[in-house]
Amino acid sequence: MSATADEPFLQAKGVAKSFAGIMAVHHVDIAVAAGERVGLIGPNGAGKTTLFNCLLGVVPVDRGVVQLAGEDVTRLPIHLRARRGLGRTFQRIELFAEATVREHLLIAERTRRGDGALWKDLLGRGRPKADEIERCDHILGLLGLAELADAPSEHLSLGQGRLLEVGRALMTEPRLLLLDEPSSGLDHDETVDLGRTLRDAQIDRGFGVLLVEHDVEFVSDFTDRCLVLDAGRLIAEGPTGEVLASDAVREAYLGTMGTVA
Amino acid sequence: MLLGASAGSDLLRALVQGTPAGTVYALLALGLVLTYKTSGVFNLALGAQAYVSAALYFQARVSWGWPIIPALLVSVFVLAPALGFVLERLVFRHLRSASAVAKLVVTIGLAVALPAIFDLALGFHSIAGQTPVGIIPGGATVFYNPFGVYALSRNELMAVGVAASAMAGLAVLFRYTTVGLHMRAVVESPRMTELNGIRSDRVSSFSWALSSLFAGMAGVLIAPRFNTLAAPDFFNLVVIAIAAAAIGMLVSLPRTFAGGLGLGLLIAVFQTFLPRWSDSLPWLATVRENLTPAMPFVVLFAVLVLWPAIRRSRAASDPLAGVEPPPPAPAATTRSRGLTVATRVFAVVFFTVTGLVVFFRADASWMFLVTQAVILSLIFLSITVITGLAGEISLCQGTFAAIGAFASFQLVTHLGMSVLLAALVGAVIAAVVGAVLSLPVLRLGGIWLSIATLAFAYFFDSVMVKLSWVGGGKQALAEGTRLPRPLLGPFNMNDNRTFLGLSIILLLIVAFAVVRIREGTVGQTLRALRGSELGAQSIGISPARARITAFAISAFIAGIGGALLAIQQQNVNYSSNFSPFASLFWLVLVVSLGSRTVEGAMQAGAAFGLFDAVLLKGAVIGWLLRSPARIPSVFPLSGTWRFVLFGLGALQFARHPEGLVENGKRGATEAVDRWLAARRERSPVVERTTEPETAA
Amino acid sequence: MSAVLELRGVSAAYGPFRSLFEVSLTVGAGEAVALLGSNGAGKTTTARVASGLLAPSSGTVWVDGADLSGAPAWRYARAGVAHAPEGRSVFATLSVEDNLRLSFRQSKGRAGVGAALDRAFELFPVLAKRRHQLAGTLSGGEQRMLSMARVMVDAPKLLVADELSLGLAPIVVDQVYDSLQRLREAGTALLIVEQHVPHALALCDRVVLLGHGAVAWHGSASEAPTAIPDKVFHQA
Ligand SMILES: Nc1ncnc2c1ncn2[C@@H]1O[C@H](COP(=O)(O)OP(=O)(O)OP(=O)(O)O)[C@@H](O)[C@H]1O
Ligand SMILES: Nc1ncnc2c1ncn2[C@@H]1O[C@H](COP(=O)(O)OP(=O)(O)OP(=O)(O)O)[C@@H](O)[C@H]1O
Ligand SMILES: [Mg+2]
Ligand SMILES: [Mg+2]
Repeated sequence: MSATADEPFLQAKGVAKSFAGIMAVHHVDIAVAAGERVGLIGPNGAGKTTLFNCLLGVVPVDRGVVQLAGEDVTRLPIHLRARRGLGRTFQRIELFAEATVREHLLIAERTRRGDGALWKDLLGRGRPKADEIERCDHILGLLGLAELADAPSEHLSLGQGRLLEVGRALMTEPRLLLLDEPSSGLDHDETVDLGRTLRDAQIDRGFGVLLVEHDVEFVSDFTDRCLVLDAGRLIAEGPTGEVLASDAVREAYLGTMGTVA
Repeated sequence: MLLGASAGSDLLRALVQGTPAGTVYALLALGLVLTYKTSGVFNLALGAQAYVSAALYFQARVSWGWPIIPALLVSVFVLAPALGFVLERLVFRHLRSASAVAKLVVTIGLAVALPAIFDLALGFHSIAGQTPVGIIPGGATVFYNPFGVYALSRNELMAVGVAASAMAGLAVLFRYTTVGLHMRAVVESPRMTELNGIRSDRVSSFSWALSSLFAGMAGVLIAPRFNTLAAPDFFNLVVIAIAAAAIGMLVSLPRTFAGGLGLGLLIAVFQTFLPRWSDSLPWLATVRENLTPAMPFVVLFAVLVLWPAIRRSRAASDPLAGVEPPPPAPAATTRSRGLTVATRVFAVVFFTVTGLVVFFRADASWMFLVTQAVILSLIFLSITVITGLAGEISLCQGTFAAIGAFASFQLVTHLGMSVLLAALVGAVIAAVVGAVLSLPVLRLGGIWLSIATLAFAYFFDSVMVKLSWVGGGKQALAEGTRLPRPLLGPFNMNDNRTFLGLSIILLLIVAFAVVRIREGTVGQTLRALRGSELGAQSIGISPARARITAFAISAFIAGIGGALLAIQQQNVNYSSNFSPFASLFWLVLVVSLGSRTVEGAMQAGAAFGLFDAVLLKGAVIGWLLRSPARIPSVFPLSGTWRFVLFGLGALQFARHPEGLVENGKRGATEAVDRWLAARRERSPVVERTTEPETAA
Repeated sequence: MSAVLELRGVSAAYGPFRSLFEVSLTVGAGEAVALLGSNGAGKTTTARVASGLLAPSSGTVWVDGADLSGAPAWRYARAGVAHAPEGRSVFATLSVEDNLRLSFRQSKGRAGVGAALDRAFELFPVLAKRRHQLAGTLSGGEQRMLSMARVMVDAPKLLVADELSLGLAPIVVDQVYDSLQRLREAGTALLIVEQHVPHALALCDRVVLLGHGAVAWHGSASEAPTAIPDKVFHQA
């Protein structure tokens, strides 16, 4: 199997996951191509984060297949899927304690290059190189974190931490970015900024984005296509505008807030 | 089926016989789980707490002639809870949000210091050859024989009964009472508990009093089973009980109880049945002799490998941890450039002068001690790698060092390999063992990893060392495990001065390598993993590979140091250099002085190597007064003091978890910077704040 | 109108890192105040000071007329301050029911626990289905609901809610705001941190805008949209 240009980068078929007898994800099929911006919405507890966990391999699937660029990765550990181009941010922030903001990106960059080796460290060639630092600072600049580059990550507020996670994921040059509520903890204007930054980077580098969000405005601005998950099942899929306007979604998920947005 | 019938009754007898031993493990394992559940501390000082109560009870009954009830009240129901209360107030309250490493280290310190303090305070000495009295009249003389196969003493039945009811009572406490709920909540987050209007400080005082009471009770119940009363015995029992606690996964009291009992029964069954087969298989005799000490390791690894739930269990972190400021950055990164240069110049001058004095003025015994300190510093750098860098608490560094030493001994003795080459190969073997050992424990988080390494250290100590292809077997017992000093071209290492030179060079090389690793990719990767494993994986870092690397490097360094130490002493001297207790001692020393920095390891080496001579024997005073005869008569201090001082050092560490050296350095750096700033008549500026410009 | 919460010239720091500079604010009885400000402005820090999680380094905190500066958080809680912290603020190793029980047992007494549990489950029916599940395995939104349920069941004197609607589905946010409105009617004062400004303005009487750890503007909610220049939200 080899990936062709129009074949979706990520393909999941019949993914199912249950916890203690309760189906959190129920036979879900999704496909996302590199370069696509797709939204994934649904009520709390619908299984969005669980689906992300299945795609990245944080939890093993009960059934189903996950493919990256046509390759079956269902049994691969997380880091190998990450190296095949799957980037991810977490709903509950997973930052490196005791590392500074810049170090977060430097280590991501170094891992991406994959040229770290013990003997290089011993020969003193392990320190960050100028071009690596430059790339990191470029991303930090994009996200508005430049001022905080040398701050330890514990020092960040919730919103700053989210941005840093996005930056770290971007450093790995993903082909598909899974974003789990990146805007929570950001206010309206910051969310708009983040959306703009992401879109610029996305168009520039051509990666795909699968976005989980409860901020409907962000979803409708940012994504072209939208999937709706409810109680572990895909209940709707289509162009974002249409999906958000559908009655079923309005009733199960949006309430009156859809009109506010 | 005559054979069958006798096997059946043998089995029954083994089961009855194993019950009292099983109860001992169950009691201690329950104590471990209880403390872990109620305070989040994996309490290696449990044995010490048990010892203190048992010893006081013994003292009251035997020396002071008290009756049972008052002796029991004072030793178990007063002393033990009071001890728990005091420990919580003085020590553990400050450690509530500290890392698992910090907590474990402090309990190791207490395990050493508590019995020593008690012994000094009451003038108590360990008892040997006399069976401690039980808590019931006629405990050791009245027997019951329920199944007609084996008689249990009243003491033993008492212990079984108390253990079972304590287990049931505690299970009810946790399951159904408010206070049980509060205790579980406080362990996870004292702050969140307070947000609910609950006084978390009171809850944790109660937790400690309760678990300490339980430990004291266990001590008094266990003591009559042995004809000694000594703290190390209790410690060893706790290590065995860890296997039972693991079966309960450190949470379930009933499972822990069953695990402890099961362990006792299993050992008894093996003891009964193994000899029948061992006629044809002589090696089984070795197995049988070492069954009890080997059991925890075997059971523990079986549990760890076969029980996936343990691998997935992670300690929950405090959701309100964000209220704490981040740990301070190393002083070296915050001090001003002038100060850095000044420090470096000072360090170079200091070490050069000391080096010259030692080289040209010191006599043989001082030279020996200094060399030993240098080699220990080298070994301690292995802790800098595994604990300081990778954030894992390995309790078997002494074992890795021993592997290096034994391997070079074997290679030199049997293959006639050149000594230095053998040391290198020994280190490689240690690295391989480290890597292999890390495989099954890779996915285990913090505390489980320490437990596994502790079990490994004990396994090596009780079984492996006795094998002839490791420790030299009977031949080594007779001849010792000798290693010659090497010849290196024109340098003859039989000369102590030359050997010191070699040690210093090796130390510098390793120190340099450690610094490079820390600043390079491997160090960064390990730091990321320590911060968030999931986050690290999500950017493509392989935790397995990184951890195996860390273990291998660390074991390599320990191995080379161990070999060097053996070469220096021209003998492996396993039990005085590398016993499991040494590993614990080393860890505490390095971590409390500073496991993050190379200086920390070196200071720990100096402290360990020179402490005895300088402080306990008062040699420095003698040297200063220019006559050993004028050393004040309080010297030499008894070895007990060494333990007390050591324990107090560990407590000091509870307040400054980044290490005493680091803490001192920061204090000094800040003081100097403030002084410099004052001279320049500027207001002091705290670096890296997010203050608005108004502060400038 | 007596103040339920009053911060007078409060500065606060995390170790050597100072994050609040001389913040003063008052929440009157039954009043609802929205705390706004950009990323890292100090909203969470202010909320932590208001519930006693963080002691002020200078200045005083008054709850219901009593000076509680530097007192432990449980005294604030017993004085009637209920705080739902930002993010995942549940006891992960306790079940959903135990999480709630822990809180209700303290505030409602033994007899009140059952009724309070029922009301909590009525408020968030999802939680009823998960009552025996460990709170740490709940979804992000469910954890938020759990931590809101803890403080919203009975009207406390002052409710401090940080990142109120974070991670909640829009329809749940609506419900939460309805319930808050009901709490207000029952006399609870509110101090809420909210990123979704229109929502906050609709509920609250007054707005306090923080910038770089100091109060940048305060005034009534109706003036806020015109008075707060857009760029204040943009300062990064
Ligand atoms: N380890 C687990 N054990 C039991 N149930 C679980 C576990 N993990 C998740 N669940 C349940 O599975 C369901 C799906 O959770 P998931 O985190 O995927 O939801 P989500 O769609 O991301 O919701 P949210 O928008 O609130 O983040 C939830 O109802 C949750 O309670
Ligand atoms: N534990 C901490 N240690 C050190 N500094 C901290 C800590 N927590 C927060 N800070 C700093 O204090 C400042 C205020 O943080 P705070 O969390 O109050 O911001 P916030 O307004 O709640 O932001 P957000 O909207 O992103 O949650 C920030 O600059 C942050 O970097
Ligand atoms: Mg989610
Ligand atoms: Mg905040």
